Amino acid sequence: MSDSLECVARTSTGSRESRRLRRQGMVPAILYGHGEACVPLAAPREAVAAAVRHGSRIVELKGAVKTSALVREMQWDTFGVEPIHVDFVRVSASDRVHVKVPIDLKGECPGQRAGGIVSLVLHEIAIECTADAIPDKLHAMVGHLEVGGAIKVHDLELPKGAKLLVDADEVVVSCTKPIEKAAEAAAATAEPEVIGRKAAEEGEKAEAGE
Amino acid sequence: MALMPKRVKHRKSQRGRIRGDATRGNRVVFGEFGLQAEQPGWLPAATIEAGRIAAQQYLRTEGRLFVRVFPHKSITSIPLETRMGKGKGEPEYWAAVVKPGTILYEIAGVTEEAARVCLARLAHKMPVRVRFVKRRSM
Repeated sequence: MSDSLECVARTSTGSRESRRLRRQGMVPAILYGHGEACVPLAAPREAVAAAVRHGSRIVELKGAVKTSALVREMQWDTFGVEPIHVDFVRVSASDRVHVKVPIDLKGECPGQRAGGIVSLVLHEIAIECTADAIPDKLHAMVGHLEVGGAIKVHDLELPKGAKLLVDADEVVVSCTKPIEKAAEAAAATAEPEVIGRKAAEEGEKAEAGE
Repeated sequence: MALMPKRVKHRKSQRGRIRGDATRGNRVVFGEFGLQAEQPGWLPAATIEAGRIAAQQYLRTEGRLFVRVFPHKSITSIPLETRMGKGKGEPEYWAAVVKPGTILYEIAGVTEEAARVCLARLAHKMPVRVRFVKRRSM
Protein backbone atom coordinates (compact mmCIF):
# COMPACT_ATOMS: atom_id res chain seq x y z
CA MET A 1 0.00 0.00 0.00
CA SER A 2 1.36 3.48 -0.79
CA ASP A 3 0.18 6.88 0.40
CA SER A 4 1.11 10.22 -1.05
CA LEU A 5 2.82 12.72 1.18
CA GLU A 6 3.01 16.43 0.45
CA CYS A 7 6.33 17.71 1.74
CA VAL A 8 8.29 20.93 1.71
CA ALA A 9 12.04 21.44 1.54
CA ARG A 10 13.83 22.55 4.70
CA THR A 11 16.26 25.40 4.20
CA SER A 12 17.84 25.27 7.63
CA THR A 13 18.67 22.20 9.64
CA GLY A 14 19.59 21.40 13.24
CA SER A 15 17.80 20.51 16.44
CA ARG A 16 16.50 24.01 17.20
CA GLU A 17 15.05 24.42 13.73
CA SER A 18 13.53 20.93 13.97
CA ARG A 19 11.91 21.85 17.27
CA ARG A 20 10.45 24.99 15.69
CA LEU A 21 9.06 22.89 12.84
CA ARG A 22 7.45 20.44 15.26
CA ARG A 23 5.77 23.33 17.07
CA GLN A 24 4.23 24.31 13.73
CA GLY A 25 2.77 20.83 13.26
CA MET A 26 5.41 19.56 10.85
CA VAL A 27 7.67 16.52 11.09
CA PRO A 28 11.28 16.92 9.95
CA ALA A 29 12.37 14.25 7.48
CA ILE A 30 15.32 13.36 5.32
CA LEU A 31 15.43 11.77 1.86
CA TYR A 32 18.49 9.88 0.63
CA GLY A 33 19.54 6.95 -1.53
CA HIS A 34 20.24 6.02 -5.17
CA GLY A 35 23.58 7.82 -4.92
CA GLU A 36 21.88 11.21 -5.05
CA ALA A 37 22.18 14.11 -2.64
CA CYS A 38 20.37 14.08 0.72
CA VAL A 39 17.34 16.36 0.81
CA PRO A 40 16.08 17.68 4.16
CA LEU A 41 12.28 17.77 4.09
CA ALA A 42 9.33 18.46 6.35
CA ALA A 43 5.87 16.90 6.15
CA PRO A 44 2.60 17.62 7.98
CA ARG A 45 2.31 15.54 11.14
CA GLU A 46 -1.26 14.41 10.40
CA ALA A 47 -0.24 13.14 6.95
CA VAL A 48 2.72 11.22 8.37
CA ALA A 49 0.57 9.75 11.14
CA ALA A 50 -2.09 8.75 8.57
CA ALA A 51 0.51 7.01 6.39
CA VAL A 52 1.74 5.06 9.43
CA ARG A 53 -1.83 4.21 10.44
CA HIS A 54 -2.47 2.80 6.97
CA GLY A 55 0.65 0.67 7.28
CA SER A 56 2.31 2.27 4.25
CA ARG A 57 5.93 1.31 3.76
CA ILE A 58 6.25 3.02 0.38
CA VAL A 59 5.10 6.64 0.06
CA GLU A 60 4.84 8.87 -2.97
CA LEU A 61 6.53 12.13 -2.09
CA LYS A 62 5.04 15.24 -3.67
CA GLY A 63 5.77 18.93 -3.44
CA ALA A 64 9.47 19.71 -2.97
CA VAL A 65 10.49 16.34 -4.45
CA LYS A 66 8.62 13.92 -6.67
CA THR A 67 9.73 10.37 -6.01
CA SER A 68 8.63 7.18 -4.37
CA ALA A 69 10.38 6.43 -1.12
CA LEU A 70 10.58 3.72 1.50
CA VAL A 71 10.06 4.67 5.13
CA ARG A 72 13.38 3.42 6.49
CA GLU A 73 13.09 4.63 10.06
CA MET A 74 10.73 6.59 12.26
CA GLN A 75 11.49 8.30 15.54
CA TRP A 76 8.74 8.78 18.10
CA ASP A 77 8.34 10.92 21.19
CA THR A 78 8.70 9.43 24.68
CA PHE A 79 5.13 8.16 24.76
CA GLY A 80 5.25 6.78 21.21
CA VAL A 81 2.35 9.02 20.20
CA GLU A 82 3.79 11.65 17.87
CA PRO A 83 6.39 11.08 15.16
CA ILE A 84 9.41 13.36 15.57
CA HIS A 85 11.49 12.38 12.54
CA VAL A 86 11.24 10.23 9.43
CA ASP A 87 13.95 8.73 7.23
CA PHE A 88 12.97 8.18 3.59
CA VAL A 89 15.10 6.23 1.15
CA ARG A 90 14.57 6.58 -2.60
CA VAL A 91 13.31 3.39 -4.21
CA SER A 92 11.89 2.34 -7.54
CA ALA A 93 9.33 -0.45 -7.78
CA SER A 94 11.84 -3.06 -8.95
CA ASP A 95 14.47 -2.27 -6.27
CA ARG A 96 15.15 -5.04 -3.79
CA VAL A 97 14.91 -3.70 -0.25
CA HIS A 98 15.55 -5.04 3.24
CA VAL A 99 12.53 -4.65 5.50
CA LYS A 100 11.27 -6.01 8.80
CA VAL A 101 7.79 -7.49 8.54
CA PRO A 102 5.60 -8.20 11.59
CA ILE A 103 4.39 -11.75 12.20
CA ASP A 104 0.72 -12.49 12.73
CA LEU A 105 -0.66 -15.69 14.29
CA LYS A 106 -3.44 -17.29 12.29
CA GLY A 107 -5.75 -20.10 13.32
CA GLU A 108 -6.75 -21.62 16.62
CA CYS A 109 -3.95 -23.46 18.35
CA PRO A 110 -4.91 -26.96 19.61
CA GLY A 111 -1.97 -26.82 22.03
CA GLN A 112 -3.48 -23.78 23.74
CA ARG A 113 -6.78 -25.63 24.21
CA ALA A 114 -4.80 -28.45 25.80
CA GLY A 115 -3.39 -26.06 28.41
CA GLY A 116 -0.22 -24.90 26.66
CA ILE A 117 1.04 -21.34 26.36
CA VAL A 118 1.59 -19.99 22.87
CA SER A 119 4.43 -17.53 22.80
CA LEU A 120 5.46 -15.44 19.86
CA VAL A 121 9.24 -15.50 20.13
CA LEU A 122 10.03 -13.54 16.99
CA HIS A 123 7.76 -10.54 16.55
CA GLU A 124 9.33 -9.30 13.31
CA ILE A 125 11.31 -10.96 10.59
CA ALA A 126 13.82 -9.37 8.21
CA ILE A 127 13.28 -10.18 4.54
CA GLU A 128 14.55 -8.98 1.19
CA CYS A 129 11.95 -8.34 -1.49
CA THR A 130 11.06 -5.91 -4.25
CA ALA A 131 9.75 -2.55 -3.12
CA ASP A 132 6.36 -3.08 -4.76
CA ALA A 133 5.82 -6.44 -3.04
CA ILE A 134 6.43 -5.69 0.63
CA PRO A 135 3.89 -7.71 2.62
CA ASP A 136 1.98 -6.03 5.48
CA LYS A 137 2.35 -9.14 7.65
CA LEU A 138 3.61 -12.68 7.48
CA HIS A 139 1.16 -15.27 8.77
CA ALA A 140 2.26 -18.04 11.07
CA MET A 141 -0.34 -20.83 10.88
CA VAL A 142 -0.80 -22.19 14.39
CA GLY A 143 -3.74 -24.46 13.46
CA HIS A 144 -1.62 -27.59 13.94
CA LEU A 145 0.63 -26.43 16.76
CA GLU A 146 0.55 -28.90 19.66
CA VAL A 147 2.07 -28.59 23.14
CA GLY A 148 5.85 -28.86 22.86
CA GLY A 149 5.80 -27.91 19.18
CA ALA A 150 7.24 -24.88 17.44
CA ILE A 151 6.97 -23.06 14.14
CA LYS A 152 10.31 -22.10 12.70
CA VAL A 153 11.26 -19.44 10.20
CA HIS A 154 11.46 -21.92 7.32
CA ASP A 155 7.81 -22.93 7.99
CA LEU A 156 6.57 -19.43 7.12
CA GLU A 157 5.07 -18.78 3.73
CA LEU A 158 6.98 -15.96 2.06
CA PRO A 159 5.69 -13.84 -0.82
CA LYS A 160 7.03 -14.70 -4.27
CA GLY A 161 10.60 -13.50 -4.83
CA ALA A 162 11.21 -12.70 -1.14
CA LYS A 163 14.36 -13.93 0.58
CA LEU A 164 14.89 -14.52 4.30
CA LEU A 165 17.60 -12.53 6.04
CA VAL A 166 17.50 -14.51 9.30
CA ASP A 167 18.47 -18.03 10.28
CA ALA A 168 15.85 -20.42 8.87
CA ASP A 169 15.99 -22.60 11.99
CA GLU A 170 15.06 -19.78 14.36
CA VAL A 171 11.85 -20.38 16.34
CA VAL A 172 8.98 -18.01 15.56
CA VAL A 173 6.16 -19.40 17.69
CA SER A 174 6.32 -22.04 20.38
CA CYS A 175 3.69 -23.80 22.44
CA THR A 176 4.94 -24.88 25.85
CA LYS A 177 3.54 -26.27 29.08
CA PRO A 178 3.09 -23.63 31.77
CA ILE A 179 6.05 -23.65 34.15
CA GLU A 180 5.06 -24.57 37.68
CA LYS A 181 6.96 -22.33 40.00
CA ALA A 182 8.87 -24.03 42.78
CA ALA A 183 7.74 -23.20 46.29
CA GLU A 184 9.36 -19.99 47.45
CA ALA A 185 12.17 -20.24 49.94
CA ALA A 186 10.74 -20.11 53.44
CA ALA A 187 13.55 -18.11 54.90
CA ALA A 188 13.39 -14.97 52.81
CA THR A 189 16.29 -12.61 53.28
CA ALA A 190 15.20 -9.39 54.92
CA GLU A 191 17.99 -7.30 53.48
CA PRO A 192 20.32 -7.61 50.51
CA GLU A 193 24.00 -8.30 50.97
CA VAL A 194 26.11 -5.13 51.02
CA ILE A 195 29.15 -5.48 48.78
CA GLY A 196 32.39 -5.18 50.71
CA ARG A 197 30.79 -4.50 54.11
CA LYS A 198 32.10 -7.62 55.86
CA ALA A 199 35.67 -7.00 54.75
CA ALA A 200 35.54 -3.39 55.96
CA GLU A 201 34.07 -4.36 59.33
CA GLU A 202 36.74 -6.96 59.85
CA GLY A 203 39.39 -4.40 59.01
CA GLU A 204 37.97 -1.98 61.60
CA LYS A 205 37.91 -4.69 64.27
CA ALA A 206 41.52 -5.58 63.60
CA GLU A 207 42.53 -1.92 63.89
CA ALA A 208 40.61 -1.58 67.18
CA GLY A 209 42.36 -4.70 68.56
CA GLU A 210 45.77 -3.20 67.89
CA MET B 1 7.56 -12.23 47.90
CA ALA B 2 8.34 -8.67 47.01
CA LEU B 3 11.29 -7.99 44.74
CA MET B 4 14.57 -6.61 46.09
CA PRO B 5 18.21 -6.59 44.92
CA LYS B 6 20.41 -9.50 45.96
CA ARG B 7 23.53 -7.40 46.50
CA VAL B 8 23.92 -3.65 46.82
CA LYS B 9 26.87 -1.34 47.12
CA HIS B 10 25.14 0.92 49.67
CA ARG B 11 22.17 0.14 51.92
CA LYS B 12 20.72 3.64 51.78
CA SER B 13 20.33 6.09 48.93
CA GLN B 14 19.50 9.76 48.67
CA ARG B 15 15.96 10.59 47.58
CA GLY B 16 16.88 12.33 44.35
CA ARG B 17 14.59 14.08 41.87
CA ILE B 18 12.80 12.48 38.96
CA ARG B 19 13.54 14.79 36.07
CA GLY B 20 12.62 14.36 32.41
CA ASP B 21 10.94 11.55 30.53
CA ALA B 22 12.02 7.96 30.02
CA THR B 23 14.29 7.59 27.01
CA ARG B 24 14.83 3.88 27.61
CA GLY B 25 12.32 1.21 28.53
CA ASN B 26 9.55 3.24 26.90
CA ARG B 27 8.55 0.81 24.12
CA VAL B 28 6.64 -2.47 24.24
CA VAL B 29 9.36 -5.02 23.53
CA PHE B 30 8.47 -8.47 24.88
CA GLY B 31 4.70 -8.64 24.58
CA GLU B 32 1.99 -7.13 22.39
CA PHE B 33 0.36 -4.78 24.90
CA GLY B 34 1.73 -2.77 27.77
CA LEU B 35 1.03 -0.37 30.61
CA GLN B 36 2.91 2.92 30.32
CA ALA B 37 3.43 5.41 33.15
CA GLU B 38 2.34 8.97 32.43
CA GLN B 39 3.67 10.49 35.64
CA PRO B 40 6.93 10.24 37.56
CA GLY B 41 7.00 8.40 40.88
CA TRP B 42 8.31 5.61 43.04
CA LEU B 43 6.77 2.17 42.56
CA PRO B 44 7.20 0.16 45.77
CA ALA B 45 8.13 -3.52 45.46
CA ALA B 46 4.88 -4.50 47.20
CA THR B 47 2.89 -2.57 44.60
CA ILE B 48 4.78 -4.22 41.73
CA GLU B 49 3.97 -7.59 43.29
CA ALA B 50 0.32 -6.65 43.88
CA GLY B 51 0.01 -5.70 40.21
CA ARG B 52 1.63 -8.95 39.13
CA ILE B 53 -0.75 -11.01 41.28
CA ALA B 54 -3.80 -9.07 40.04
CA ALA B 55 -2.79 -9.74 36.44
CA GLN B 56 -1.92 -13.40 37.03
CA GLN B 57 -5.25 -14.02 38.73
CA TYR B 58 -7.03 -12.68 35.69
CA LEU B 59 -4.82 -14.39 33.12
CA ARG B 60 -4.59 -17.72 35.01
CA THR B 61 -2.65 -20.00 32.66
CA GLU B 62 -3.35 -18.01 29.50
CA GLY B 63 -0.88 -15.55 28.09
CA ARG B 64 2.30 -14.22 29.64
CA LEU B 65 3.02 -11.24 31.84
CA PHE B 66 6.31 -9.36 31.79
CA VAL B 67 7.26 -7.05 34.64
CA ARG B 68 9.49 -4.34 33.15
CA VAL B 69 10.50 -2.49 36.32
CA PHE B 70 12.68 -3.55 39.26
CA PRO B 71 12.94 -1.90 42.69
CA HIS B 72 16.60 -0.86 42.86
CA LYS B 73 16.17 2.03 45.29
CA SER B 74 15.95 1.60 49.06
CA ILE B 75 13.57 3.97 50.80
CA THR B 76 14.33 4.81 54.42
CA SER B 77 12.10 6.18 57.14
CA ILE B 78 12.49 7.14 60.78
CA PRO B 79 10.09 5.86 63.48
CA LEU B 80 7.26 8.06 64.76
CA GLU B 81 7.88 10.32 67.76
CA THR B 82 11.63 10.28 67.22
CA ARG B 83 13.65 13.35 68.15
CA MET B 84 15.46 15.28 65.46
CA GLY B 85 18.92 14.13 64.46
CA LYS B 86 20.56 10.76 65.01
CA GLY B 87 21.12 10.34 61.29
CA LYS B 88 19.25 8.79 58.41
CA GLY B 89 16.52 6.23 59.07
CA GLU B 90 16.62 2.55 58.33
CA PRO B 91 15.60 1.06 54.95
CA GLU B 92 11.84 0.47 55.03
CA TYR B 93 11.12 -0.85 51.55
CA TRP B 94 12.48 -0.98 48.00
CA ALA B 95 11.05 0.97 45.08
CA ALA B 96 11.49 1.38 41.33
CA VAL B 97 12.05 4.90 40.07
CA VAL B 98 9.52 5.51 37.30
CA LYS B 99 9.81 8.27 34.74
CA PRO B 100 6.94 9.33 32.45
CA GLY B 101 6.91 6.96 29.49
CA THR B 102 8.29 3.91 31.32
CA ILE B 103 6.59 0.63 30.41
CA LEU B 104 5.65 -1.05 33.70
CA TYR B 105 4.10 -4.32 32.54
CA GLU B 106 3.63 -6.14 29.24
CA ILE B 107 1.25 -8.88 28.20
CA ALA B 108 1.57 -11.42 25.39
CA GLY B 109 -0.56 -14.23 24.07
CA VAL B 110 -4.02 -12.77 24.76
CA THR B 111 -6.54 -10.80 22.74
CA GLU B 112 -6.61 -7.02 22.95
CA GLU B 113 -9.91 -7.06 24.86
CA ALA B 114 -8.50 -9.44 27.47
CA ALA B 115 -5.29 -7.40 27.72
CA ARG B 116 -7.29 -4.20 28.24
CA VAL B 117 -9.35 -5.73 31.04
CA CYS B 118 -6.30 -7.27 32.67
CA LEU B 119 -4.21 -4.11 32.55
CA ALA B 120 -7.14 -2.01 33.78
CA ARG B 121 -7.34 -4.20 36.90
CA LEU B 122 -3.65 -3.72 37.33
CA ALA B 123 -3.77 0.03 36.69
CA HIS B 124 -6.00 0.55 39.74
CA LYS B 125 -3.10 -0.50 41.94
CA MET B 126 -0.54 1.87 40.43
CA PRO B 127 0.46 5.04 42.31
CA VAL B 128 1.02 6.87 39.02
CA ARG B 129 -1.34 7.62 36.11
CA VAL B 130 -0.90 4.97 33.42
CA ARG B 131 -2.18 4.22 29.93
CA PHE B 132 -2.67 1.19 27.73
CA VAL B 133 -0.24 0.92 24.80
CA LYS B 134 0.22 -1.47 21.90
CA ARG B 135 3.35 -2.74 20.28
CA ARG B 136 4.45 -0.68 17.27
CA SER B 137 6.15 -2.30 14.32
CA MET B 138 7.51 0.87 12.68
